[in-house]
Amino acid sequence: MKQNLPSSFVSVSKWFFAEKQVIYILLFTYLFITLVPLVWVLSTSFKSNEEAISLPPQFIPANPTLDNYLFVVTEPHIVHSLFNSFIVSIGSTVISVAISALGGYAFARFQFKGKNILLSVILGLFMIPVLINIIPLYIMFSQIGLLNSLLGLILTFQILIIPLNIFLLKSYFETIPRELEEAALIDGCSSLGVLRRITIPLSMPGFAIAAVLAFRFSWNEFILPIVLANRPDSMVFQVALYEFVSLYSIEWGYLTAGINIALIPILVLMLIFQKQMVRGLTLGAIRH
Amino acid sequence: MLILKSFEPYLFLLPSIIILFAFLFIPLIWNIYISLHDVSILTIIKDWDFIGFENFDNIFSDPNFYNSLKVTLVFVCGSVLLQFGIGLLIAILLNQQIRASGLFRTLFIIPWTVSTVITGFSFKFLFDDSFGIINYGIEKLGLESIGWFSDPNLAIWIVIVANTWYGTPFTILFLSAGLLSINPTLYEAATIDGATKFRRFFYITLPLLKSFILTNLILVTVWTINFFDLQLIMTNGGPLSSTTTLSLYMYKQAFEFGYFSEGAAVGILLIIMNIAIAFVYLKLFDVRNKK
Repeated sequence: MKQNLPSSFVSVSKWFFAEKQVIYILLFTYLFITLVPLVWVLSTSFKSNEEAISLPPQFIPANPTLDNYLFVVTEPHIVHSLFNSFIVSIGSTVISVAISALGGYAFARFQFKGKNILLSVILGLFMIPVLINIIPLYIMFSQIGLLNSLLGLILTFQILIIPLNIFLLKSYFETIPRELEEAALIDGCSSLGVLRRITIPLSMPGFAIAAVLAFRFSWNEFILPIVLANRPDSMVFQVALYEFVSLYSIEWGYLTAGINIALIPILVLMLIFQKQMVRGLTLGAIRH
Repeated sequence: MLILKSFEPYLFLLPSIIILFAFLFIPLIWNIYISLHDVSILTIIKDWDFIGFENFDNIFSDPNFYNSLKVTLVFVCGSVLLQFGIGLLIAILLNQQIRASGLFRTLFIIPWTVSTVITGFSFKFLFDDSFGIINYGIEKLGLESIGWFSDPNLAIWIVIVANTWYGTPFTILFLSAGLLSINPTLYEAATIDGATKFRRFFYITLPLLKSFILTNLILVTVWTINFFDLQLIMTNGGPLSSTTTLSLYMYKQAFEFGYFSEGAAVGILLIIMNIAIAFVYLKLFDVRNKK
């Protein structure tokens, strides 16, 4: 017995040590898989179109060049699509945060008839796959003249974002103490006045999460714009990247530079709002 | 004033409800109407003839439809199993006491912030038949390079791999939230009672995680059924329709061939499929519950 005890202790601690190692090996393997595609695209974007597809592949470009980026930011077509993407994404972000803030506030603060039914209807609508709507939306838009318009895109993007953001902002408003608002009401503030002077300033972090999510959905969306706005003058950047391929028969140098430019706005937002994002995504991680 | 007060919450909700009904609910109903009429690129501006279930008949007699069902089965099963398996594993590993778990978590979300266009092209580039680094690596190992995108049996798996890369972060985040909701004192109590790691996993973690797992599986499965971004971007459904899932089949009917009403009919089949899948999951978990 006396001899057994230390040896089993050693084997247990060995197993424990080995287990930790296995965990780290698995996590780093997954991290490697996560980063490799994007790192490889980043490296390729600094190569000429010929070097991009030459073998053996060089991780560090032999003749690093910024030509691909220059091409992307000077080609009028692509610049126009970038401009469209910013208009659509910013427009849809502002509208969706405003609308969802009103909705979320109603659910968080008021008692009214049919409240629970309305909440489940909104969450239920959220489960309707948007994809199934592309055909009726296309026909509808072609009849009312919203096809190939940025406004049409901004409006349809709302269906992707509003249900999620109503839910997110509802739970955010619920964390703000009611007493603050009641005190202001007693002092003679109107409901809208309370919203403007007390609730909105206190809810800024919640709005930030909602805005970043809305921007990300609008900036990255591909199927709705390729169906509803694929003319050169109304094209958004994701569609322009896709069109790139048929137009230039895949010039990988240009394409990878375009990919990195598409990544910049989202990465910048992610860096600024990193903490809130992880929390917000976990809180309302509902839509793909 | 009093009347206005009681209407107030509805006024707050009015903009959301108008938009959701106009762009989500009405199109959904209209889709049924379109599927029962003759609407194609030729008749779109004329009056539509009512043709009953003819659109459905046309689809059910199209061999490509049955092919797309088979492709959908492979695509959905492969994607869901991989995303769920890897997602659960990584979520559990992140929940252990490890260093820099916050940093890992942030880096693991990256694919979720990327668009499907970026995902599709990045993987197309990595797996390219002639200059992709995957094939280069395989040749370096002394093996023959593989025609990933020209082999009808392989192409769908490359799309599944890309989809797994893109979709797994959602499962990681979702199940991590579930794991965080489990009270740690339960584990302490079980450890004191002498439960091993594996027993703790099967008797505490899994049962308490069940509702999260169920919701996650329903969401991921339904999304995968309706998802066709990557197929469109990476292979356009080819080679030989081997990557044309039902959702891509719908898109092609409408926007490649101009048969809007047949596309709408496929859309209805997709909705039925979505509801059926959710129902099956709920039943499956219910049966296990009773045992």
